[in-house]
Amino acid sequence: MRLRSAQLFAQLSDEHSTDAERSAHRDDLVRLHLPLVEHFARRFLNRGEPLDDLLQVGTIGLIKAIDRFDLGRGVEFSTYATPTIVGEIKRHFRDRGWAIRVPRRLQELRLTITVATADLTQQLGRSPTVAELAERVGVSQEEIIEGLESANAYATLSLDAPDSSDDSALSMIDVIGGDDEGLEHVENRETIKPLLEALDPREKHILTLRFFRGMTQSQIAAEIGISQMHVSRLLARTLERLRDSLEESSAPPS
Amino acid sequence: MRGSTDVADKHPDVELRIPADSAFLAVLRTATAGLAARLDFTLDDIEDLRIAVDEACAMVLPQARVDSDLTCAFDLEPTRLTVAVTAECDTPQAPDRDSFAWTVLSALTSEVRADVHGERLTIRLARGTDSD
Repeated sequence: MRLRSAQLFAQLSDEHSTDAERSAHRDDLVRLHLPLVEHFARRFLNRGEPLDDLLQVGTIGLIKAIDRFDLGRGVEFSTYATPTIVGEIKRHFRDRGWAIRVPRRLQELRLTITVATADLTQQLGRSPTVAELAERVGVSQEEIIEGLESANAYATLSLDAPDSSDDSALSMIDVIGGDDEGLEHVENRETIKPLLEALDPREKHILTLRFFRGMTQSQIAAEIGISQMHVSRLLARTLERLRDSLEESSAPPS
Repeated sequence: MRGSTDVADKHPDVELRIPADSAFLAVLRTATAGLAARLDFTLDDIEDLRIAVDEACAMVLPQARVDSDLTCAFDLEPTRLTVAVTAECDTPQAPDRDSFAWTVLSALTSEVRADVHGERLTIRLARGTDSD
């Protein structure tokens, strides 16, 4: 099985393979490694989500792992794919609202850690250690560990740079929805995307700097050329408006 | 309690005892992650270890006697974390090495073994910071 897997990966990266051939090889790889997906899907079975859904999201993880896998690195594929598959399944639970309520402070910390992790991973060519993260973020190692644990209350930290807008939108929900009782049930990323899109360019820019680049208000102020007080007011206003819109769109029809 | 002689005879650095119930595994995973973090494992390694401990527990829990405890012993070395999970069973059986679950566990760890001593089933896994 391992041999067949290695063969397929080699063929996948072969420049002489046609697109059709690559597609076929990918399908074969998915089929070959499905038992791994099944194994983990079953591990999460007793939490109220149907097996089919878990298999589906697990398979998405498998496909992601196949696309990213580099034979040259000398790691076995199962080892490599496992966290990706498990990550997708955990993310599924988060999306379905099985998240445990986490204090706002920790949510913001988690976002900052996510950004710092992405940066450091790119810089170091591997995922960072807790010590490295603590230094980058400027908090104690204790706090980093705390942040990591709260992230695992529902999902693994994404190790990608925030390239997929899906991740960003969901992180935004975490922060905005944090303390608001009325927004407890808003976990659908589709709800917030159009709202973010409707913001004016400056509001979007400030939100991006604050939540995706992890900048402090003073840093944002310096970047844009306005006072920190002004940034604070703008941010508060934007978040308030988003909250209101979310409440409106998630209110049950009366 | 530490009657089993095959497992490291020295007193473990950290020891955790929880009810043999999947509801408590979160505590074990958190402890594992916390200790791995202190040993300077990378986030990827920490996540793998967390999953590995979970897998090991999934293997011993079904065999554990009802209302018994699961003991987890941690040994910390400068670049290596060893975790030994022990359950008390009526008729303990070491997991099948050809099983898929065992393959997954092997893939996630540098070293893993299962031992039966009397009524105790122990799965002992280890992972180094400079992995494999």
